[in-house]
Amino acid sequence: MVGMSLLRSAAAFAARLSPLKAGNNAAHIITRTIPRTDKVAIRWGHGKKMFVVKPSDFYDRRFLRLLQYYILLTGIPVVVFVTAVNVFIGEAELAEIPEGYEPEHWEYYKHPITRWIVRNIYDSPVKDYEKMMAAIQIEKEKADMRLTQLEVRRQMRQTGDGPWFQVPTLDKELIDHSPKSSPDN
Amino acid sequence: MPKDFDTEVYPEPPRQTPVVDKQTALPNPALILSKVFYYTVDLPVTTFRDTIDSIRSKNKLVYYHQKFRRVPDLTECQEGDYPCYYEAEMQWRRDYKVDQEIVKVVQERMRACQQREGNSYEQNCTKEIQQFHEVTKNFQSRYGDLGAYASAKKCLMKQKERMMAAQAQSA
Repeated sequence: MVGMSLLRSAAAFAARLSPLKAGNNAAHIITRTIPRTDKVAIRWGHGKKMFVVKPSDFYDRRFLRLLQYYILLTGIPVVVFVTAVNVFIGEAELAEIPEGYEPEHWEYYKHPITRWIVRNIYDSPVKDYEKMMAAIQIEKEKADMRLTQLEVRRQMRQTGDGPWFQVPTLDKELIDHSPKSSPDN
Repeated sequence: MPKDFDTEVYPEPPRQTPVVDKQTALPNPALILSKVFYYTVDLPVTTFRDTIDSIRSKNKLVYYHQKFRRVPDLTECQEGDYPCYYEAEMQWRRDYKVDQEIVKVVQERMRACQQREGNSYEQNCTKEIQQFHEVTKNFQSRYGDLGAYASAKKCLMKQKERMMAAQAQSA
């Protein structure tokens, strides 16, 4: 350590004595001894170095950083998963339906992820069809029942011999006929 | 590698490569370029595809085209039998899709023929052109202006109009 400072002071003394000699240039061995203003490497680009006053872009950069982070958080696993499926399992190939074989409803799709979704999550198209037809049948029966009800109402109101549209009146037995039997009392 | 297209429907034109009659000692630049293309593009892509296929070949999945049973048409349904209407409507929609694809295939054939023949397509592709005209005329007359909310009932009414017009014309 002492030797270092001795060397340093010796180099500084030599450089001060004859600064233009080639070996005495202290710039690349020991820094901060002699600033050589005539041989300084100018690396500022061109033009005067200015302190540019601009509004803070911290919030914008933070937003973009967070956006990137949250997108890639699930994006990268999804991409890796889909790539692995495409490389290791691969898409299905078209084939003729073998004789006497009824393919399952997911065997009509090409991509393995679509097949999985159709097999485990969606209902089979046959079931969907039947559900729709059941809904149509229920609505048809409701409509038919409403129409028959209207017809029955019409008939009962018209003929009056049915249980509907009967106006309750007093019982005939309750009429006291005694004042009517002797008119001139 | 996947199957190539059907060579009977899309015939390749006869090869017109001339006999090689090299009279200079200079190398043939077309040959050099084709070799460069082969080694830089074709070979890596093919080897990549083959490696991926060898990984995939353990579990080979297949898929099929679904065949639907024919159900009674809209004309064979009782009035007010709404499930029958639904089945006929679904069948009509499937047939509509199939007909659209048929038109696309015929159009594709005509385009391929035109591309193949170059400037003499009017003479050489008469079969494809005539087939295309016929198919599109029939498609237009059956499904023509039904619009986006087309249904089996509207198509049936259009057919009725056609029959009435034909009868009025013949009478």
